[in-house]
Amino acid sequence: MNLLWLQGLTCSGNTQSFLCAENPSADEVLGMFEVLFCPFSSWEVDMEEVILKLLRRREELNVLILEGAVGGSDHRVCKRSFAEVVRELSRRADYVIALGNCAVFGNIPAKYDQEVKGLQYRFKQMGGVLGRDFRSRSGLPVINLSGCPAHPSWLSYVLLQILSQRKIELDELGRPKELYAYLTHHGCIRNEYFEWKVEAEELGKKEGCLFYYFGCKGPMTHSSCNRILWNGLSSKTRVGMPCVGCTEYDFPREGMLETRHLMGIPDELPLGVSKRGYILISGIAKTFAPERLKKRLMDEDSKETAQQD
Amino acid sequence: MKIQRKLLNRIEGEVELKLLWDSGRIKDAFVCAPNYRGFEKLLVGRPYLDAVVITPRICGICGHAHLMASVEAIEDAYRKAGFKVELSDKAQRIRKLTLTCEFLQNHLRWFYLYLMPDIIKLEPNLRELYEPLKGSVWTEALKASNLPVKVIALFGGQWPHTSYAVPGGVVCDPTGWELVQAEFLLRKLKEFFEERLLGMTFENYLSLKGEEYLEKLGGDMRVFCEVAIDHGLHEAGASYDRFLSGGNFLPGVTSGVLSENGKKFSFEVSKVSENEDFSFFSKRKEAYTWSKAARYEGLPYETGPLARQLMSGNEIIKNLYGKYGSSVLVRVLARLDEGAKLLKEALVLLSGIKLNEPSWIKPPLETKNFSGKGVGVIEASRGTLIHEIEINQGKIKSYNVITPTVWNLGPRDGKYLGVVERAVVGMASELKAEIVVRSFDVCSVCTSH
Ligand code: SF4
Ligand code: SF4
Repeated sequence: MNLLWLQGLTCSGNTQSFLCAENPSADEVLGMFEVLFCPFSSWEVDMEEVILKLLRRREELNVLILEGAVGGSDHRVCKRSFAEVVRELSRRADYVIALGNCAVFGNIPAKYDQEVKGLQYRFKQMGGVLGRDFRSRSGLPVINLSGCPAHPSWLSYVLLQILSQRKIELDELGRPKELYAYLTHHGCIRNEYFEWKVEAEELGKKEGCLFYYFGCKGPMTHSSCNRILWNGLSSKTRVGMPCVGCTEYDFPREGMLETRHLMGIPDELPLGVSKRGYILISGIAKTFAPERLKKRLMDEDSKETAQQD
Repeated sequence: MKIQRKLLNRIEGEVELKLLWDSGRIKDAFVCAPNYRGFEKLLVGRPYLDAVVITPRICGICGHAHLMASVEAIEDAYRKAGFKVELSDKAQRIRKLTLTCEFLQNHLRWFYLYLMPDIIKLEPNLRELYEPLKGSVWTEALKASNLPVKVIALFGGQWPHTSYAVPGGVVCDPTGWELVQAEFLLRKLKEFFEERLLGMTFENYLSLKGEEYLEKLGGDMRVFCEVAIDHGLHEAGASYDRFLSGGNFLPGVTSGVLSENGKKFSFEVSKVSENEDFSFFSKRKEAYTWSKAARYEGLPYETGPLARQLMSGNEIIKNLYGKYGSSVLVRVLARLDEGAKLLKEALVLLSGIKLNEPSWIKPPLETKNFSGKGVGVIEASRGTLIHEIEINQGKIKSYNVITPTVWNLGPRDGKYLGVVERAVVGMASELKAEIVVRSFDVCSVCTSH
């Protein structure tokens, strides 16, 4: 199977993210394909020549990966607008993968420019550059790997599924269910604090949940960040950084590191939780929260002595 | 006259090189960044803390540096408005450590993944080792470049794109477990440096002196130097011989300005300006890039590891520069030597982290009503990075970013060519001209942001 990896309006973060892949690593995954062009490994071939050859139907295209959003018309490749090239190649490909939030939803560059789009979406709106009814030759719509950036294993997963011809089930936004049915919240080590409504009032502490004051979007963000850990060992919320919801269509939202409230209730509630339910449960949880959650996990004195030894 | 258009699109986004050839030599060169994303405009009107989430997305390779510049710009605004912002020694060390790790990642990936493939074009017998995806050294180097990235993840949760540094400190609260892991990862990285890059122990490497340095080099550095000298890359690539470094964050990374006659001055951010004459912002028909041109006292300056090392009094690099000027050879060695020294510093930073200090000291202000102006100047792996923020009633009024590549890969102004443009004029080989461009660490995504 061959593979073509193109970049539109991007920070190259998905490329960089993929280079961090482990088990399998980037070279191991791509080693299973015939790579026609890829921004980090092609050194002998000229991207425009490769594209031209495909456009002239001299070769079949199996997998097209697009990283980055697609802009208006000034960006030209092979003397055509980039959007046109992407449309043409997508039609010709067996599988089309939108890698990262820019390629999926338009993301940051689309906020600035109305004409910028993702492949099959522009934020919430279906359509994108390819149109709402687009299907690649395999019959699948664009396989959306949202995230800013997408986790390297998410791409590896899709590529390996394609190779082994296994079915990839997609959610209503075109994202593989096996990766995006989870929420960031699942597997967050602060989850017990969330349940008992023990909120972090300060940053820089191991203890407490970041939902109530610091804008954590973990309970409403589809991502497997706390199941498939970043760089093989961590995640934002594990270290104490609120999830900013980078896998969703509305990223980047305004006021990402704060939680807005109306009469003490967060404007946005965990997915599927009603206001009434939230008030009721959080009241009870707070009342019965175990004392141990209100203390530091390790007490300072013992840490200090350990340091001095 | 032949006009040649060439896309450089390995890893760092697309840069278009337009070369004008005359009698077999490059007569004029244009570096074009064809894409624009509008970061500065997108930030206007948002709560100012959003900057620490959004600006790292300017660049997937050095996003962490953007985070640091952004946080420092906000902290500077607090201070200038009369608020006291305290940072614990622990928070400062952790920030420096993760930024250092981003340098290490960048230097390794840049050398092995972006530069060496050009070198194997010059010496095809090296292909077995350095060919992308397949070469034994390439794959090993890729894995090694992930070690410092893991250290960032231990403190910042992930790389790329975390926003774990916030005004007042960092959000993580590490334990001994993170420290032990980080130390182990850095030691493994040290092994890679010794076995592959340096071809000798750290101690031996650091004891190399000026005269014997080149002869005694080992490992992949030696491989590179031999090819570079055989193919004249020790004589190619000089630009204006004016250097600048803005950030002062570790012993090997000091700020300063060096003029072409060898005089050193201290860096003053107020002397930095941007010229738009040849960027699309000007809407003039001569415009050819989305990048602006950064100038210091109206003049183009080179920034990056070579600039930093000349500023930091690195004897070896000073010596090489004296002998070979700002050639590809010296530019590459400056970067690799900086990498080795930074790795040593990273271990020092790590060993000094005192876990019982606070990670975050809440700044004494109500963010909603805050107004002020600040600037953050730091060094990213590619060179000087400047963020300027103006805040009005808690919202961003204006935001300006000057990235390292705007200095190096930015366009000409009425008087001077851009730094890279000037460096390739007069060259006779297309491949070598490309290598010269790459020696500046091309990154189109941050050139136009
Ligand atoms: S910090 Fe965020 S992800 Fe973790 S438990 Fe709280 S709300 Fe969920
Ligand atoms: S934790 Fe949230 S913000 Fe971080 S990468 Fe995952 S989805 Fe994105």
